[in-house]
Parts: sequence; C-alpha cells; structure tokens
Amino acid sequence: MKLPTDVIKMYKEVHGWVGIISGLALFIAFYAGALTMFEEPVQRWASPPPVLAPAPALDRTPDLIAKVLKEYPEAAKDYDVHLVTDSANPARISWEVHEKGGREHGAGTTYYASLRGDGSLQVETRGPSQVAQLIDVLHQQVGLPFDHEISMPIMGAIALLYMIAIVSGLAVLLPSLVSDLFALRFGKNVKRMWLDIHNVLGLFSLPFHIIMALTAVVFAFHDQFYGAQGMVFGGSEGGRRPPVAAAADGPVPVPLPPLAVVERVKEQAPGFTPLKLSYGQGPNGKPFLRMQGSDLRYGMRGPTFGIASLDPVTGGITGQDYMPGMQDGWSATLSSFFALHFGSYGGNAIRWSYFLLGLGGAFLFYTGNLLWVESRRKKERKAGAVEQTRATRILGALTVGVPLGCVAGISVTLAAAKLLGDGASYGVHSAIYYAVFLLATGWSLVRGAARSGVELSVLGAVAMLTVPLASLIAGRAWYDAGDLLLVDGTALALSVLLLLSARSARRRALAGPRDSIWSANGESNGTKQAQPA
Amino acid sequence: MKKELSSRDWFGKSAAGLILGFLLALGAAGLFKLLAGVGLGGDSFFSTKGQFSMWLMSPIWALTLSFCFLFRSGLRAWLWLAAANVLVWAPIVLSGGLRS
Repeated sequence: MKLPTDVIKMYKEVHGWVGIISGLALFIAFYAGALTMFEEPVQRWASPPPVLAPAPALDRTPDLIAKVLKEYPEAAKDYDVHLVTDSANPARISWEVHEKGGREHGAGTTYYASLRGDGSLQVETRGPSQVAQLIDVLHQQVGLPFDHEISMPIMGAIALLYMIAIVSGLAVLLPSLVSDLFALRFGKNVKRMWLDIHNVLGLFSLPFHIIMALTAVVFAFHDQFYGAQGMVFGGSEGGRRPPVAAAADGPVPVPLPPLAVVERVKEQAPGFTPLKLSYGQGPNGKPFLRMQGSDLRYGMRGPTFGIASLDPVTGGITGQDYMPGMQDGWSATLSSFFALHFGSYGGNAIRWSYFLLGLGGAFLFYTGNLLWVESRRKKERKAGAVEQTRATRILGALTVGVPLGCVAGISVTLAAAKLLGDGASYGVHSAIYYAVFLLATGWSLVRGAARSGVELSVLGAVAMLTVPLASLIAGRAWYDAGDLLLVDGTALALSVLLLLSARSARRRALAGPRDSIWSANGESNGTKQAQPA
Repeated sequence: MKKELSSRDWFGKSAAGLILGFLLALGAAGLFKLLAGVGLGGDSFFSTKGQFSMWLMSPIWALTLSFCFLFRSGLRAWLWLAAANVLVWAPIVLSGGLRS
C-alpha cells in the first residue's frame, strides 16, 4: 500500500512520542493483565489451606444458612452461597459487613461460615489471599498507586495514546509491509532487529491491541461518558441508577434453597454451570436472588462468569441481560466487548492465548522504548553529540528499570503470600510490590541502563524463582489441586527467559557500540570518542 | 503546491481531536439513541441500546484523535471537526433532544 511520504514521516514522529509517553505504563498494564488471565488459579495458589471445617453438602446448606441468619441477622441483607468451594472460596456461605460511611471498596469485613463435625456453626474472618486482586488493580491502574478516581482517567489517557500509537504505527508500517513482514534481520544492526521484532509482534497481535485500547477507554471513562450524556440529553444525571422506590407489602416470602435453585437452573439452562448464588433483600425489603456461573460456549460479561437474576421463590430466570446464551442481540454484543477484553470465552485455550498475547504486548512496548532510545542516539550523533544526552540516558534507564521492577515486584509479593500466610494483607502485598519496584527503578537510574540491565534481569530471574521456592517452603497443603503447579512452572520458565536476556544484555554491555547507553564501557572509562557503529 | 504535513502543529490538531472528537462521539451516541428509538433521556441509560451508545463513544473519540493529525493545519482540524459536529448535532437539536 502506498501512502504519501509526508504522512508516513508525520505519523512516525507521532508514533515515537505517544509511544514513549505511554510505553512504560502499558508494559505494566499488559504484564499484570497477562497474569490476571489466571487470577483465580493464582488466588488459589496464594491462599492458605482453609481453617474452616469442610463445606457442608448442598442439601445440608439450608441448615447452615438458618444458623448463620440466627446469629448474624445482618447477613440476611446479602449473602453468597458458593456452589464450588476451593482455597480461594473456602466457605459455603460468606457475607460482607461494611462499616457505616466506609468506602465502596475494601472497607468491609468478609465472614466465612461452615458447620463443624458436631453441627455447630463456625465463622471465620480470615479469608483467601488478596495478592491476585493487587495484580488486577496494578493492571487496571497501569501500576499507579493512587486512588481509583485519580488513576482511572490517567489510565484512560494512556489508552487514548495507545490507540493513536496503533493507528500511527500501522500507517508507518503499511508501505513497507510486504517486504518487511517476514523479514527478521538478526545481525549486526541491532536497531533493525528490534524494529523487525516490533513490527511482527505489533502486526500479528493488531486485533488484540485494537480491542484492548478501545475497551480500556470505556473502562476508564464510562462514568464520564454517561455523565456527559446525562448533562446534554437529560435523564439519569451522572450515570447513577435511579433509586428503587416502593416498599414491599406483606410477609417476606421464603426463598428457594440452593439445591432446588441449582436443579431449576439446570432445567432452564442446560450447559450452564452455576458457581455462586447471592441471596438478599433490596433496599425496599424485597428479596432478590442473583446467580453467577459460566458457560464456555458463550462470551461472558464478567472476567470469569455470566450473571442472571432469578425469582427467589420459584428459581425462574428473570433477568437474562447478562446470562450467557439467553441474551438478545444487543446484550450479547455488549457482553462480547467485555468478553473480548477479559478473554472470558472458550475456556483455558483462550486464556493461555491471551496470556501469551499479553506478554507479547508487554514485550512490544519494551521493544518500542528500545527503538526510541536507539533513534535518539542516531539523531544526537548526527547533530554532533558524542555522548547521549541526559534525557536519553534517563529514559534508557527507565526502559530497563520500570519493566524489570514491575516483574520482580509482582513475583516477590506473590511469593510473600505463601511465606507470610495470614499476615499478608492487601496493604502488605502492595507495600512489598512498590518497595521492590521503586528499588529497581531507582537502581536503574543510579547505575545506568547498561549495567542495571544485566543486574535487574538477574534480579527479575531470582525474584521469579522465589515463587516456586515459596511453594517448596509452604509445602503440599497449599495446593488444592495439582494443576496449580502450573503457576510454579510458569514462573520457572519466565525465570529462565530472564536469565537468557541477562546474558545477552551483558554481552552487549561489553561489546556493543560505546556511545550507546547500552555500553558499560563508555561510562566506566569515560571515553568520549564515538565508535563507528 | 500543498504544504507538507508535519507533526509540528500537533497541539492544535490534537486539541481539536480531543475536544471536538469527544463532542462528536457524544453527538453520535445521541444520534444512535434517536435512530434506535430508545429516546435520549429518562431510563434509556442502562437499556442495552443505551449502553451500546456509550460504547460507541470510545471508537469515535479515539479514532478522531488518531486521524486528526492528517489535517493540514490546526485551524483546518478545528473547522472540519466543527462542521462534522454540526452535522451530527443538527438532527438532535431539531428533534428537541437537548435537555431543556
């Protein structure tokens, strides 16, 4: 395809600038996002063996519910019945109590209930590990430690830059597409090699990246979008749902017990696997019943589940808007937007594909940053500078420090879940992550890209190894299923990759062109002479 | 001869893309709701078509922002995008869709 040269040149510059602004944040979003593909298994991997008595069978669950409601009447407002229990969902019954005036997230206490062998009620507040949520939040907020309200618009701005980067990158690549596509020129010209890798990665995952950019813009700005609609068109202003009015008259009907609900659902939606039932009362005193479950044949609205509301008395499916397989065309279309972002369709094959695409995406942004630094080097040398400017050195250092700091931080905080056990609250996990991340970033700035590139790759590999190591120390009791070993196996594989990259970084630091920020020579002996590249 | 495109006047162009692109997306969402027959205000927000109109804003805004660099100058970006806005918003205003 032919494009005017001035368009290509213009978009090349735009691509460079939006890329360098958003690249590092996108690396964190994609690396953490790739890991969230397995948020549930990671949560199970990180969660201590349950202290609760084994969950009672479904037909004995009404007994448990009755005992819970007698001792904890506040649970009647909203409690969950987990149809599948594992170390991430240790209890048959759980409910949350929010402190008055507390924030929407995190301020509540979750209670977990089971029946002891003698039939007495056991209630615990020690829950599963929250390290998986931390990784999810890092993903959503591109690694920013601020409040959700502050982080999300910044994430949205990054997503808009990301879309510009996609369009401009495509415009730059299109004219030379045919000749460049299958050319991977590994050779003396390192920049050429990185460029080839960058192009191949970008082009073959293009649909994935378009989906991620456009959905991320919505996830960041949906409140603002609805708010703007409310401002100019009227209606529910600010995107808030109208409060439900009218209290229910008469006695509150008795809801259907879980086992009967499961059977009723099976009749109505064969192929759908219900996972969680939420019983409760709305603000008007009316009972409600919501169900979460999965059906791999359809794209699902949630990251791992679809949702339906049921009639609490008859168990009939009343709300089908988010129910896989029962949605009308519009709802299914909306769900597909979510499913395409979450990879919540098609089961594990899709999850592994998304995992690899996510890691590939992170690598794409990393190579993008490398290319930017290399181009700067060329430009600066043409302009007569024999050493790289301070800005280029700092960006080169951050290109190394931020990604490797993120990788190491997540690994260490994940391993800490098994070593600290119940002591590892969300806050502790967050502190560990940011401590490692800031340390690595600071180290890269102090030591420069060349040396810290080697050192931090080794750090990343070692941090990755703490994951299987923590498993060895914690022992078998932490595994509720054998396939959780894949968490350790994946960490081991990534650790090997990091060691390999440390080796080639070292080679380059010793043998590469000296005016490059990747050379350890230029910095150490103070050579001012630029080598011919 | 036409002036060569360059990334120098990026600020004027991207400001137009950001501001007028958002208004364009908002207008397109309204236009969609009008054509889909769900109405603009009231409870139309969380109807499935209402939600779809919100999703529609993302590609329109993001793509306007991505392509606004193709305008020859910042001024042209503002003028062309303003004209596009007039086209999209006219049916909404004429049908009395704006909040009174």
